[in-house]
Amino acid sequence: MPTVTIDGREVEVEVGTNLIEAAKKVGIQIPHYCYHPRLSIVGQCRMCLVKIEGPPKLQTACTTQVMKDGMVVHIDIPEVHKAQEGVMEFLLINHPLDCPICDQAGECGLQDYSFKHGQAFSRFVFEEKRTYPGRERIPLGPSVVLNMNRCIQCTRCIRFTEEISGTGELGFFERGARTEIGVFPGKELDNPLSANVVDICPVGALTSREFRFAERVWYLDKKPSICTGCDVGCNVTAEHRRGAIKRYKPRFNPEVNDYWMCDYGRGTFRRYEELERLGTPAIAENGEQRPATWNDAIDRVHQSISQAPESAELAFLGTGFLTTEEAFLIARLADAAASPHRGVASEEGPTRTIPNLHGGISGSETSPNRRGAELAGLVAGDGGLGAAELMQGDGASRCDFLLVADGDPGSPLHDSEVVARLRQARLLVVMGWASTPLTEVADVVLPTATHAEKDGTFVNCESRLQRFRAAFPSPAGVRPAVEALADLLGRLHPDWRGLSTAQVFDRMAADLPTLAGLTFEELPAHGVELQAPAAVVGGGTPPAEDAHP
Amino acid sequence: MAFEPVLLRNVGKPGVRQVAGYREAGGYKGLEKALGMEPDAVIEEVKASGLRGRGGAGFPAGLKWSFIPKGNDKPKYLVCNADESEPGTFKDRILMEQDPQQLIEGCAICCWAVSANTCYIYIRGEYVEQAEILEEAIRDAYANGILGDDVMGSGFKLDMYVHRGAGAYICGEETGMLESLEGRRGQPRIKPPFPAVVGAFGCPTVINNVETLCNVPHILERGADWYKSIGTDERNTGPKLYCVSGHVEKPGTYEFPIGVTMNQLIDTCGGMWRGAKLKAFIPGGASAAILPAKHADLPLDFDQLAKAGSMLGSAAVIVMDENTDIVRAVHRLAKFFNHESCGQCTPCREGTNWSELVLKKILAGKGNPGDAELILRICRNMGGTTLCALADAAVGPLRSLVQNFPEEIAAWIDNGGAGAEPRRYFAEEVLV
Ligand SMILES: Cc1cc2nc3c(=O)[nH]c(=O)nc-3n(C[C@H](O)[C@H](O)[C@H](O)COP(=O)(O)O)c2cc1C
Ligand code: SF4
Ligand code: SF4
Ligand code: FES
Repeated sequence: MPTVTIDGREVEVEVGTNLIEAAKKVGIQIPHYCYHPRLSIVGQCRMCLVKIEGPPKLQTACTTQVMKDGMVVHIDIPEVHKAQEGVMEFLLINHPLDCPICDQAGECGLQDYSFKHGQAFSRFVFEEKRTYPGRERIPLGPSVVLNMNRCIQCTRCIRFTEEISGTGELGFFERGARTEIGVFPGKELDNPLSANVVDICPVGALTSREFRFAERVWYLDKKPSICTGCDVGCNVTAEHRRGAIKRYKPRFNPEVNDYWMCDYGRGTFRRYEELERLGTPAIAENGEQRPATWNDAIDRVHQSISQAPESAELAFLGTGFLTTEEAFLIARLADAAASPHRGVASEEGPTRTIPNLHGGISGSETSPNRRGAELAGLVAGDGGLGAAELMQGDGASRCDFLLVADGDPGSPLHDSEVVARLRQARLLVVMGWASTPLTEVADVVLPTATHAEKDGTFVNCESRLQRFRAAFPSPAGVRPAVEALADLLGRLHPDWRGLSTAQVFDRMAADLPTLAGLTFEELPAHGVELQAPAAVVGGGTPPAEDAHP
Repeated sequence: MAFEPVLLRNVGKPGVRQVAGYREAGGYKGLEKALGMEPDAVIEEVKASGLRGRGGAGFPAGLKWSFIPKGNDKPKYLVCNADESEPGTFKDRILMEQDPQQLIEGCAICCWAVSANTCYIYIRGEYVEQAEILEEAIRDAYANGILGDDVMGSGFKLDMYVHRGAGAYICGEETGMLESLEGRRGQPRIKPPFPAVVGAFGCPTVINNVETLCNVPHILERGADWYKSIGTDERNTGPKLYCVSGHVEKPGTYEFPIGVTMNQLIDTCGGMWRGAKLKAFIPGGASAAILPAKHADLPLDFDQLAKAGSMLGSAAVIVMDENTDIVRAVHRLAKFFNHESCGQCTPCREGTNWSELVLKKILAGKGNPGDAELILRICRNMGGTTLCALADAAVGPLRSLVQNFPEEIAAWIDNGGAGAEPRRYFAEEVLV
């Protein structure tokens, strides 16, 4: 591998690495706008000019590849600073500079770099700024709005639609200082990945129709999380203000979603706003639910299990919204009840594909963790009732006790026929965060945390186990399901009492060969691909042969 | 010794647009000779002639041809640059109108030398008549075995197409031209890779100007030594077309050995228009620095002009007399570059726009004392920082305005133009 010297620091890089990436390796950020690691290199913004020993002129770092030993690059020198200042000045002369009313303020590439590489005065005093009258608020499609006055013509958005989404809706129109971004006639920016252009736009030219002017970004608390929209499991940053999620942004994971996520997934946090939240446990007496304490509610469930006669049938139905750890605890409960009746409610949905360097990743289930839940043991035993028998057959009518856990509104449990079938169980216990048709008819309701309020792991469509953590605590009265389940299980077996998610995971890893050697705290940031297929039975397709060419 | 025109020798001769007439006038001897030589020997001959590109940059033609990789099985292309978009340039037009077979012959020799079986002539969209003439001439060349599967009985296969542009200066820049040829928006490409390695359709490609290629048949026919005997020195050889416009009595395209002086050109053109005095001239098209009259005895060749801080460029010589307002003239040029920047590079997109606005402001009588310095600063930030040379081209006239004509810009700024001399007409009326 060739070695290049950047501002006196030597770094070894693979042949063909460009200077922006090489500099990153030694912690040097070369300012850039048009360059994006996943888009073709166009060398247009000219922000990344650096001095390379040899050629007389400054060269663009993004277009310069390290091919052999001995390249010497200077960035922190007056000549380069001057060039950066020059480009910044050119970019700012026609920029509105109305940051106080711009949606990008706080996460703007122009603000960041002009602070670092610009100068504090404007030379463009008398000439009028170029504007694009009538082009300040152009809806490009259902998710994205363009303000041409703020655009710095970096063409990232165009290249995204050409190269990543492959849909090519956007183009450059006109030329020179009149150059505009726009959709081709008769087209709309409506591909399933369209909102990613908002993330890669370095300035406030492209805004999300959902998020536009909803919040100042500096008020937002950003926490790593995982999208629950499907079983791809895109890594996201959940940006919230005091527990209310305002947006999801994709979080880089080269093994899964790379830099991207789909538009559908971006909107999935809305269910936390739109649906009524369960606030306290409830127990039904004579067909009417009354608020109860957690202790009473857990007690009620505990008694039903521990006092069940030998002949009783107890069933445990999870969903693909459970974390693997929650599913594991439910499976242990089923073990305690010596019940073979267990399953995971899941559903096929539209296929959602996210491009990445491994040929893309596609998920087609509507929940994130059917595989993890099954891996953890929610699979019917010999002669047991599974999800299909309980939901589509009359299995529930044979049950004295049925626990349904994580009745996320995204799961297929809420169809009125399914609700009616499940209701046939003599005692119906439902855990979940939202009020649903199923919680309405339950005998015991246990209000639990949303995925943003709990720790856990999901196993995605390519059998990759990924960890996520609570972005914020759950509201008063609500408990993370692991806590509630450990409480319940602890009443049957004291050594489960009070276990944390991490401890549950570690016990599970000790139990399951597929997870051997893993610990919750040491799971790699990009997840682990589980060797044996996580899906023991049930639907879903195994990862395609060429998922990792 | 009187100079016999070489490139323009067939101008006005009846029938030379056809193969038969062209042959009668002595044509196709160069191609015939070339086909009897090894391709490499042809390249060597062109190298030895010292022929430098006539499109603007003056790059040695033979050297460029030698960059085409050998022994790789990708197709190779010649793209003849007939975009002729540099303001003030009207020489390729004459060559195509008057003697299209000469161009076809030059192209064919180049294709033989670099083993290209396909040639595109990329012609500017406004040249409708010239495109038709070329197409007619190409048809006739096919009919007479000059083009097609068996070029002059040699077994060499060559197809030639005329491709019409859609009206953009930037499509004269070689990689912008390739993009346009391939059906995309005309925007220059990142170099390297250079077209000789990755050119049209991803294949090795030679790009040469019309006039460059028109020199080639003569080099082959009469030899590199003869060719080198024309011109100022070893590095500036051969005949050259000068497109003279502006304040002379008889503007036009004139052929001279490379290195004629401004004064000689003015004489040839029947003197200055209405006998006025020379104030300044642009020696090489809109991109060249404007020189003051004191350089009128400078040989107009590649190196002498470079030394004087300007360039030969496309040899579009624009003559400005004492009544010309240089600030207005430069404003008109700045407007051109602002209009023609493709817009992908920040410094060019914004710099060409800004410089036009500064000049417009000065011409509105609202100039500031710092404006000359500001123009230089814009030039500094624009020059040498972009993908293609358009930004550098825009810098040419701007910088020369401040450096060579400081008093003109000062007059506008100090007096809001009021103190400047009365003008009979403005350069922009002439410089369209
Ligand atoms: C902005 C710009 C415009 C150009 N326009 C032309 C043109 O109209 N005709 C031309 O022959 N060369 C033009 N060139 C030069 C070409 O890029 C290229 O150098 C030339 O065609 C090479 O041919 P030559 O080596 O025979 O001169 C232009 C260059 C630039 C930067
Ligand atoms: S809209 Fe944004 S991403 Fe698109 S070209 Fe303009 S600045 Fe770049
Ligand atoms: S220098 Fe100007 S014309 Fe050339 S590629 Fe850049 S923006 Fe386009
Ligand atoms: S990042 Fe290199 S030119 Fe834009």
